[in-house]
Amino acid sequence: MDVTFKIRRRNPDALGQEKPYWQEFVLADVDPTDRVLEMLHRIKWEQDGSLSLRRSCAHGVCGSDAMRINGVNRLACKILIRDVGEKVQVEPILGLPVIKDLIVDMEPFFDHYKQVMPFFVNDDPVPADGRERLQTQANREQFDDSTKCILCACCTTSCPSFWANGHYVGPAAIVGAHRFIFDTRDQAGKERLDILSEPNGVWRCRTIFNCTPACPRDIEVTKAIGEVKLAIRKGTNVGIIETSAIH
Amino acid sequence: MTSLVLTVRETLRYRGAIGQWSWVLHRLTGVGVVLFLALHVIDTSWAVFYPDLYVKAIAAYQSPLFTIGEFGLVFAVVYHAFNGIRIIIFDYKPELWRHQARAAIAVLVLTLLVLAPVFLGMLSHVVDFYVGEAAIAGDRMLDVVVFSILEQLPFIAGFVGVLAAAIVLAAVYSLISGEPSSGGKYPQASPIERFWWGFMRLSGILILPLVFGHLALMHVVQGVFDITAAQEIAGTMAVNGTIGAVPSAVEFVYHRWSYAAGGLFVWRVYDLFLLVLVTIHGFNGLRYVLTDYTSGNNFARRTAVALCTVMAAVLLAVGGASLLVPLEKDIIEEAMAATAEIYELRGEALPPELEAFLPEDP
Repeated sequence: MDVTFKIRRRNPDALGQEKPYWQEFVLADVDPTDRVLEMLHRIKWEQDGSLSLRRSCAHGVCGSDAMRINGVNRLACKILIRDVGEKVQVEPILGLPVIKDLIVDMEPFFDHYKQVMPFFVNDDPVPADGRERLQTQANREQFDDSTKCILCACCTTSCPSFWANGHYVGPAAIVGAHRFIFDTRDQAGKERLDILSEPNGVWRCRTIFNCTPACPRDIEVTKAIGEVKLAIRKGTNVGIIETSAIH
Repeated sequence: MTSLVLTVRETLRYRGAIGQWSWVLHRLTGVGVVLFLALHVIDTSWAVFYPDLYVKAIAAYQSPLFTIGEFGLVFAVVYHAFNGIRIIIFDYKPELWRHQARAAIAVLVLTLLVLAPVFLGMLSHVVDFYVGEAAIAGDRMLDVVVFSILEQLPFIAGFVGVLAAAIVLAAVYSLISGEPSSGGKYPQASPIERFWWGFMRLSGILILPLVFGHLALMHVVQGVFDITAAQEIAGTMAVNGTIGAVPSAVEFVYHRWSYAAGGLFVWRVYDLFLLVLVTIHGFNGLRYVLTDYTSGNNFARRTAVALCTVMAAVLLAVGGASLLVPLEKDIIEEAMAATAEIYELRGEALPPELEAFLPEDP
């Protein structure tokens, strides 16, 4: 079948293309099970070599090909043509500066992520056997969901609060903080909760729920943000999440 | 501004689910109610401080423009209340998030179910008014609408004054703090937003029965048109028109706020709670909305915060003062001249009792 792609383009180095504009491409012989990323490749390889996009693993693991496809943030490598139909509209994710075509500057996004100290903090001496710090299955389950984040920015750039205010730390950074706040082995939970309690921390979340369906990893993003809010309210990370304890 | 334009445009373009539209409606209804609140508190305080202005304000509320607005207001309050409950549920039970879309639909359905009988009740007052004796003559309709807008001019002037004060406050603060007007970041580590988050939820729950009671009594049982009619005043034993020559909005307020049950001025206490909770909830909500879209510019953001603070303070002071001062019967007499003016404007026959109150021709 034929599929029409309408792509939002911008090239700051080419005369007349500094401002974003739409360009259409028609692809023949498209299979419903083809992925959108492959079709973008075909456009670039067969029709217009100047089309710029970011992708790396192309299998939904690295998180580099987030874009707004038919109005919703998706990973181009995880979406099939049959999911989007014969007319496909592709544009860069919103809220980060567009560098060229579908490529955005991810640095502000990563800066927010770095703010929440996304690393394990524990200054106690390592256990006597020199191996891992143990925890129960129930304790591990508390932050299981938030370990799945691949930092693709689909959630953060689907959030109207982030569109309005680029200082807002955003869903992805809060999920990154959740990963460590609810890890019983970590010792910097208090610092992270203080950071997220700032005016541009979790309180800018208005529970709009755009982030949760946008996540290509099916992370329960709004739930994670809600748990962080409750942890800040109660001043503790204990007793916030009910785990069903794996047996 | 660019931030607001971008957010509005992209919210329309982004194909978010129903949660996104619930948020849009929550914001719109919230801003709508808080703007009406400002009007309403100032106008009502006039009953005590400027009785003739209050009579004219109520006449304005009885004009078609405000009647349409009243239906919108009741929708806004009811939707905002139910959606607020939805938000609170998922805030305190985030693990239930899978039900949020269904809850958003339930909020809409519940709003419509509640509004159906409420709107019927309100509509019956409107119909009574327009088919009854008190109806405004057709050719005077435009006069009444123009009049009602002009009567709100002092209010608009007051708002401009408050805005100017807010800008001055923000400018003074910027001078003292010496920060650049844009590009800076928020002040660090403050637990204040944690407090406000909790306050918004707690006050929302407390406001709910108060505001529903208020709407039921004033907009459904009494109705804006019958505030000036010779009938029993809802929530009291008094009948309008027993003190003044004819019934008036000022006498309505007088009876309401003088009504004591067991030595307690029930409606004064009720209205005081409502005033304090709704004003703080409303203007903090407005601050949320305004600061969301002014984060890129420190000066604009501070102006927004100052504006909300000053407006809330003014409303609490003016509304609180009107609720706490002792009421004098003179205010009802003072209202009569204005009432006579309203009769003339509407093209109605002037009751003989009011002839003495007409200003003498120069």
